[in-house]
Amino acid sequence: MDELIAQFAIEARELVQQASKDLLSLEADPQNRESAESAFRAIHTLKGSVGLFEFGPMQGILHQAEDLLSQARAGRIVIDTTLIEPLLAVVEWIDDSIEGISRTGHLSEAQDKQAPRLLGLLNGKMAEREISEDVGSTTTIPGWAQALQQRIAASDIEGSMICIRYEPHPECFFNGDDPLATISRLPDLRHLAFSLKEPPPSPQDYDPFRCHLLIEAVSGGSLAEAEAVFRLIPDQVNLVPLPRTADKRAFAAPEKLPERSADRQSTTMRVDSARIDKLVEIAGELIATKNGLVPLADEARNQGNGPLARRILSSHHELERLLGSLYSALTQARMIPVEHTFRRFPRLVRETSARLGKALDLIIEGETVEADREIVENLFEPLLHLIRNGLDHGIEPEAERLRFSKPARGRILLRARQRGDQIDIEVADDGRGMDPNHVRAAAIDRGLLSKSQASVLSDREILQFVFVPGFSTASSVSDLSGRGVGLDAVQNSVKRLGGTLELQSAVGVGTSFVLKLPISFSMTQLMVVEVGDERYGIPISDVMETHKLPTSAIQPVRAGRAFVLRDRTIPLLYLGELLKIPSWHPRSGDLKVLIVRTGEHHIGVSVDAIAERVETLTRPLVGLLQGVPGIAGTTLLGDGRVLLVLDMEELIQ
Amino acid sequence: MTVSLNGDAIILAGTCGVDEVETLVNYLEARPDVPVDINTATSLHTALWQALMVFKPKMIGAPVSSLMADKLLPVLNAYIDGSRNKLAKASSSK
Repeated sequence: MDELIAQFAIEARELVQQASKDLLSLEADPQNRESAESAFRAIHTLKGSVGLFEFGPMQGILHQAEDLLSQARAGRIVIDTTLIEPLLAVVEWIDDSIEGISRTGHLSEAQDKQAPRLLGLLNGKMAEREISEDVGSTTTIPGWAQALQQRIAASDIEGSMICIRYEPHPECFFNGDDPLATISRLPDLRHLAFSLKEPPPSPQDYDPFRCHLLIEAVSGGSLAEAEAVFRLIPDQVNLVPLPRTADKRAFAAPEKLPERSADRQSTTMRVDSARIDKLVEIAGELIATKNGLVPLADEARNQGNGPLARRILSSHHELERLLGSLYSALTQARMIPVEHTFRRFPRLVRETSARLGKALDLIIEGETVEADREIVENLFEPLLHLIRNGLDHGIEPEAERLRFSKPARGRILLRARQRGDQIDIEVADDGRGMDPNHVRAAAIDRGLLSKSQASVLSDREILQFVFVPGFSTASSVSDLSGRGVGLDAVQNSVKRLGGTLELQSAVGVGTSFVLKLPISFSMTQLMVVEVGDERYGIPISDVMETHKLPTSAIQPVRAGRAFVLRDRTIPLLYLGELLKIPSWHPRSGDLKVLIVRTGEHHIGVSVDAIAERVETLTRPLVGLLQGVPGIAGTTLLGDGRVLLVLDMEELIQ
Repeated sequence: MTVSLNGDAIILAGTCGVDEVETLVNYLEARPDVPVDINTATSLHTALWQALMVFKPKMIGAPVSSLMADKLLPVLNAYIDGSRNKLAKASSSK
């Protein structure tokens, strides 16, 4: 990939995040000059970077956005939702474009096609500004609005009028939108028209679940009332207030901006995370090498050289101490604040709540809490799923909320807290909560438990069934929370990061999920075992004891095998079979058996040989291996070989 | 069932949600000859209005809802008539 483009992509992503954060805080607090300045700077810098390339309309769009922000900064236009929304649409468009650009080096066709709409939004804002500055005198009215105006009988033209052009998103039905119902909520609807967009779909290639309509209307209400109706889908509508007199004036050319230097001194430097990972790897190898000193000391002692043994051991201790600090310094270097993931949510929530037609506030707390980069980055998917879940199933529609005397706006809390070497991340909504009776009935329905079992389980226990694969309490599949991906997937991804997921819910009050995660990946003790020609690591914490078992002690039990250990019958499994190693056959002679605990039970797992113990850093799986069940992660051995670390509990299931 | 086929008409009744658009489309495809009766319908989801625009059946019945009767149905009928006229013109000029 082109270096320059790669650099652009990194920078653009940061600037987009910055701008989006500033715009959102500006929306919440229009008086915040700092946010206005910062948003302006981000867009200005972005425009500068974009100027180095040929990204079609992007430069022009950014120029318009920058202009609006410059006016807002100077206090010449009011900062409100109608200003922020088109700007956010622009930021979002750029964010969506970056990936394609970093892949292909130019703006994708699909993104290019959206440019006129964005310019329209920005220009709409410009036009409206003209009006609000100078009511009833002069403005530029788009052609479609003029055509609409002519449809209204002359007698009807009195007071303010708003022309509305509404192009519902093609996927809007999946989000629960009903565009005609939405537009009919406009006050004083004087004219309504809707038609299929050109070219109209033919009955053969028409998809009934995609919206292909263009809706136009004229409302006698105020602009604010119309904006309120479309407050959740501002990017799909164009609102043009009609002045009483319709003479035209081209609006003034955007003023020249003063050049600003956006240099900020900083003590941080950007390091490719792969370089830090390399250092962590080397530290891991050093640890393995250091471990080799202990047998050396033993050997020296056995040869009667006590002083040499002591010197070797003292070097070992010193090395251990230094490696410990090296390791913790490296761990520190990999730590990033959870904000990296959290800051992606406000915009997503805003978009999603718009599509669902549910108004809500996302409250973020503790975004400065730090954790390992890998953990923070992998948090996005599970958190996204939980937040969408809350939005989709938790938060009730406004009317329902009001009926239960709840605030009209829903609330989702995303909070990180540090507890020792753990972080707790909570996703809580104040929605309708999960009804244990509903879950109980669904669990019986799906054959997950019998009626008598269900009746003895507490409500809290029953709720845990939502984590069972394939269980979903939603009566209809929604586009939002995905199809077939349930809370079990969330639980799995949290587990992969070495964490747990807890759930609490009260009917009518809301649902809260707590993710408890390690702050960083710590050193673990592994037992290396051999099966056939392969070697695997098993966390020592999983192994209760090891045994030598004569073949004669094995008893067949139905289809399986078992043996007796201290008066307890323990099922016996062969690791070679569990891992489905094709060339593996049980060896003759005594078996080497690890006693492993899974939940309440003890299970014997036979391996061909038990090799050394190692202390290493286990990393969660990424990429292709991620979906492989029974593998907890990988670790690098002192000799550079990669060892797969097994998750015994998952493997045995 | 709020979308049903009753011999000589496709009947939409009560509140017809987006999930019923598929049923409606199936009927419209299977029986292009019968009219769609919306006399007892109280509200139709946008997806259903769109389906009616695509298939252009003959619409019968006068819904009670003033929104449907005064605003939406006239637009649909005008659209259907408009494209029929266009078709007629196109075929007569051939």
